[in-house]
Amino acid sequence: MTAIRLENLVKRFGAFTALKTMDLEIRNGEFMALLGPSGCGKSTTMNMIAGMESPSEGRILFDDKDMNGVAMGRRGVGFVFQNYAIFTHMNVHDNLAYGLRVRKLPESEVDSRVKAIAEFLQLTPLLKQPSAKLSVNILQRLAIGRSAIVEPAIFLLDEPLSNVDAAFRAVMRTELKHLQRQFRQTMVYVTHDQLEAMTMADRIAVMDHGVLQQVGTPLEVYNNPANLFVAGFIGSPGMNLLKGSLADSDRGLVVNLGEMGRSQPLDPELVSAVRQSGSREVVYGFRPERVSLSGTAEGMPLPVTFVERIGARTVVHLGAGEQRVKAVFDNDAAVESGSTVSIAIEPASVRLFDAGTGIAIRGT
Amino acid sequence: MSSLATPEKISMVDAALDHDARSEDGGRRLGLALTLPAQVLVLFIAVFPLLMQLYISLTDWSPLDGIGWWQAHELWNGFANYTDLMADGRFWSALGRTALVMLVCVPAEFLLGLGLAILFMDDFAGKRVFYSIMLIPMMVVPAVAGYMFFMLFQSGGPVNDILSGLTGMNVSIAWLSDPTTALVAVMIADIWQWTPLMFLILLAGLVGVPEDQVRAATLLGASWWQRFRTIVLPKMKTIIIIALAIRVIENFKIFDTLYIMTGGGPGVATETISVYIYKVTQQDLIWGYVAAIALVILVALSILVSLAISRMNAGKEA
Repeated sequence: MTAIRLENLVKRFGAFTALKTMDLEIRNGEFMALLGPSGCGKSTTMNMIAGMESPSEGRILFDDKDMNGVAMGRRGVGFVFQNYAIFTHMNVHDNLAYGLRVRKLPESEVDSRVKAIAEFLQLTPLLKQPSAKLSVNILQRLAIGRSAIVEPAIFLLDEPLSNVDAAFRAVMRTELKHLQRQFRQTMVYVTHDQLEAMTMADRIAVMDHGVLQQVGTPLEVYNNPANLFVAGFIGSPGMNLLKGSLADSDRGLVVNLGEMGRSQPLDPELVSAVRQSGSREVVYGFRPERVSLSGTAEGMPLPVTFVERIGARTVVHLGAGEQRVKAVFDNDAAVESGSTVSIAIEPASVRLFDAGTGIAIRGT
Repeated sequence: MSSLATPEKISMVDAALDHDARSEDGGRRLGLALTLPAQVLVLFIAVFPLLMQLYISLTDWSPLDGIGWWQAHELWNGFANYTDLMADGRFWSALGRTALVMLVCVPAEFLLGLGLAILFMDDFAGKRVFYSIMLIPMMVVPAVAGYMFFMLFQSGGPVNDILSGLTGMNVSIAWLSDPTTALVAVMIADIWQWTPLMFLILLAGLVGVPEDQVRAATLLGASWWQRFRTIVLPKMKTIIIIALAIRVIENFKIFDTLYIMTGGGPGVATETISVYIYKVTQQDLIWGYVAAIALVILVALSILVSLAISRMNAGKEA
């Protein structure tokens, strides 16, 4: 149980900067997901926490202790590799015992601790099995058990579910979250899969191009994205983001969306925020899930370009000129491509971003 | 489901199975026909010489007898060659000397090759150049290597010069004329020439060790030596056995470099089993006896190697 603090962390590989000044605090016992597309710097960050790579600048602190120069074997880091890195030439028991045996603990203690953790992870009947042919969920448990037995300060998990087929991933996610609750360990989980991050993490750190974009609980990140990248990256499909400019109307402040016409009047809270910021050119954002079909003239009429029926829901692609909108309706929504529908956007779900900086405009 | 299996359907299944069995039979015949030429070839290059050797070894035949080898049965002497062999002191001491050379050279080549391979796992300046240089000894024709070491170990040669320079004394060891130093010189030549092969095979083995398992061990707190002993060596077990088997077989047959350096001398001080066989063949011309020696060696080596391979397979199952 250790808190981790990253201070001004920078990593350069030659001329390429993989990570640009990262500051992040991971609390004691927290499940933190580092989420981002490939090449965003999340694995580099994790490798530096583990000590496999050393930072170009900045510090990593475990409970206020500077880890710079501390060898990776002495940091007390449990690492679960993408492919689990189980010692395939040993059986389950010897894999679990490894960390204790290299510490030269008496064999009687090794044995009792292996038995205890095997019981805990339901691996007892498999102890004598060779580890080369175990199924993937057993491998995950074994990898966690092998790290957990030496009682590491923190756990790092590097995309452990990326080799698992989709159907099984849900099972593994549940199991992993369950294990984390039982161990009450600080865990850092690297993934590019937002579903994994959203379902398991206490907080998510969204990264892109070596820059930390936003840190927050899954709902915070989903509801109030800090900038355009997070807005587009989180959610499936991502937030609708339409370029526009602010305009006054007799009903209040609206956003002129060009060929799509004018938006509904903005919420009073948003109006005061946008007036404070002084932005004129904005990006008008709203979740596809917060769009409904409108029967009245209030709605925004848009031609339907494409309809995806994905079972539980229907994703409708709408478009006018350059502007593209996705809307998520019920599975039986009576929408056909080629037709025109009138949509209404839930006013409270509207988010505005500065068109120049891409940063969210929010009331303070 | 069983209610659906009408007699008619069952007979159809039987017919299908029958067809399968027949086509499998046909496939086997075709396979035999296709591999027959290769099998005949193997028969001629492996089995036939072996039988011929066995046959000659049971006779007193020599090419000087004026009869073809197939008529050797006229000189039949049963197991006399083998009983002679058991009492042949020169044979046993040659065998012992060969074993000694093997027991010194192969472990030395293994340890040197492994050490170098471990060094080459890290990056250092000029790695590529050193890599190429490392492999040169292996490519030198053994006879040439023999002449090279013959000259190096002359009493006025470079080896003594270097030793003189290092010790500050005037060293003039007659390396190849002294029974002990001659054997040492021969071993050094073999180690020089064949360490690169060990290096190459073991480097391939080291590269094949899964890096993340080594990293996992590091993160669990294992020291370099612990990682090497518990992860790297077990993963390399198969390749180590192959490398050792190759060198044991080859070293047992050590001949060309050694023969050029010492001719098996002084006296019989460096006479290994190959040199002994060569001398009996060329000088004494008793080929029946030679065949017997060669057959004994072949059987001994085969047992040794199959033991190694069975250990390897045992390791795979564990």
